This record gives sequence, structure tokens and C-alpha cells, in this order.
Amino acid sequence: MSYDDYLAGDPVVITAALTGGVHGKEASPHLPETPEEIADAAEACEAAGASVVHLHARRENGERSFSRERFQELTDAVRERTDLIVQHSTGGTGAPDDIRHEPLRTDPAPDMASLDMGPLNRYQHLTSENTRGLVESLAEEMRERGIKPEMEVFNGGHLNEVHELLDRRPDLLEEPIYTTLIFGGGTTAMPTPDTFRSLVNHLPRGAQFNTLGFGQHQLPFGAMGIVFGGHVRVGLEDNRYFRQGELATNAQLVERAATLAETLQRPVATPDDAREILDI
Amino acid sequence: MACPYLEYREADEERSFETARAYCTAVDAFVQPMRADICNDRYELDHTTDCEFYRNAER
Repeated sequence: MSYDDYLAGDPVVITAALTGGVHGKEASPHLPETPEEIADAAEACEAAGASVVHLHARRENGERSFSRERFQELTDAVRERTDLIVQHSTGGTGAPDDIRHEPLRTDPAPDMASLDMGPLNRYQHLTSENTRGLVESLAEEMRERGIKPEMEVFNGGHLNEVHELLDRRPDLLEEPIYTTLIFGGGTTAMPTPDTFRSLVNHLPRGAQFNTLGFGQHQLPFGAMGIVFGGHVRVGLEDNRYFRQGELATNAQLVERAATLAETLQRPVATPDDAREILDI
Repeated sequence: MACPYLEYREADEERSFETARAYCTAVDAFVQPMRADICNDRYELDHTTDCEFYRNAER
């Protein structure tokens, strides 16, 4: 994807990452945790222009859950209220490999699921390993269940891993390849325009890309994603603020991304448009 | 075994919640849900090795 794709005026797919698994209501009262709160937020985000919803499940007290049952309750609530493409997270720092598969096992299966393409550091003494063996076994189950992988590229090394997986197991991935390029601090890609251009230039041929900037980088990197023919992910999982000192809601962040896309003269994809673009 | 600095509280001086949440008495703050898994030694996590708050408090 490139500036030519921007000039072509293809629709922008906006993903709403509503809740995540790292922080919770201790960080923002607007962050939804229960299935009902998450479904409310999903409905508001669909009205604001989102076409994909990225979901993490939680326990009653907001702590992480990887169980199929909690994901089932969550996905049922969201599907009942919206027509959004449902994308389950398979991320899970410190969680054993077997339970990382649980979010893929709802009925129906999620339309998409995240696939973290390599290791990333957490806090001072933790690393989310995401070994090649785990990545491949998750991709195999996604393939069996007809789930489209959203390959999360936290840095340039993870883009190597995308190419390596395509070379080693081309049977696991269907075109268009869908990646999320991630910018911020720590193990993520350096949040600079040069890094952004470099990652976009080295995507597999024909790959679609989604743009994720953490914190203050959500807005400018979303704009770059739109201008360079990509898609955009926003939401409280990645950024709690609308502007400095002002907490956001998920719908506000989606609405701002949609306004930005329309201002830059790229239409905002409906869920049906997004299904066609992503071949879901 | 859970971290000895872990408590579940419904409120601190600034905020209150409908459900009791993980609170770290080593740093006097509610902790992130991901960190609460370390506090509770869930999955493959161990507060004695994985948590800098515990390690700093025990120095």
C-alpha cells in the first residue's frame, strides 16, 4: 500500500480497540470492562465509523480472562448489538500457550484474531515471548476455523517474522495479508515518520496495513496511515486521552479518526466495505 | 501463593469502584489488571521474580 492507494480514495477501515488487557478502570472510568459495557461502547463506535472491534475478555473485577466462556459472553453481547467485524485478541503476557487458543474457540468463531508476531517486553521483568511455535499453532487453528489473522508487528523484527512465516507456511495465510504496524515506546517501533515509511515500504507485496500509535502517537500515526493508503486503529486500549489532560471515550476517538479520514478525502469503510476489503 | 502486598479494595482516597480491585500496599496504588495476574501468581507468573514493586520492597 502506498500514497497511490490514498490518491485512489479507497475506504479506511477503522478498528476500535475498546478495552485491552493491560489497564482498566483504575486508569480511566470510561474504559469498558463488562460484556454489557463493551457492547455499549462497540455500538457507539459503530455509529461513529468503526467497522472492526478488537476484543479482550475480563473477569468480573476487570482482571484478564482468556477463557472461551468469557469470550463467548462478550462476543454474543457485541454481535447482538452491532454488525461489526469481530476480532478477538490472542495476546497474553505470562499466559500458557494452550489458553492463548481459547479466544479462537467461540461459536461462531471470531471473524478475525490477533497474532502477535514476536516477543515484547512488559514492565521490568516480563517478556511476552510469542515463540514461532506458538505463532504457527495459532495461525493453524485460525486457518482451520476460517479466522483471518491480524498480524501485529510491534517492530521491524516482527516484520521479518511476517515474511518468514509467509515463506515457511504460505498455506496458513490468505490474501490480502493484514498487518498492524505498532508505534510507541518500549519494544514497539520507534514513533518516527522514517520508521513508519520503512515498515510500510517493507510489507509483503499486496499486504494491507493498519496503523496503531500508542498514547500521544495515536492521532499523528493514524493520519500517516490514512495518507499512505493504510487503515487505522484507535481506542482506549492504546490511548486514554483525547488531548493532553482530557480523558477520551472510545467513540470520541473513533469519531475523530473518521473525521480525519473524511477530511483527507478517504471514505470511512462500513462493516460491509471492510468485509470486502479484508476478504472476510 | 499471592503476593503479601496484595489487597483487594473498593476505594482509595480518590476513587471508588463497584467491585474490589487489586491494590498494591508496597506502592500504595491500585494496579493494572495485567499486573494483578502477577500479584496472584496466575498462569506462569510469580510475584517474587516478575514484579519490580515486590522486589524493590523486599530489598
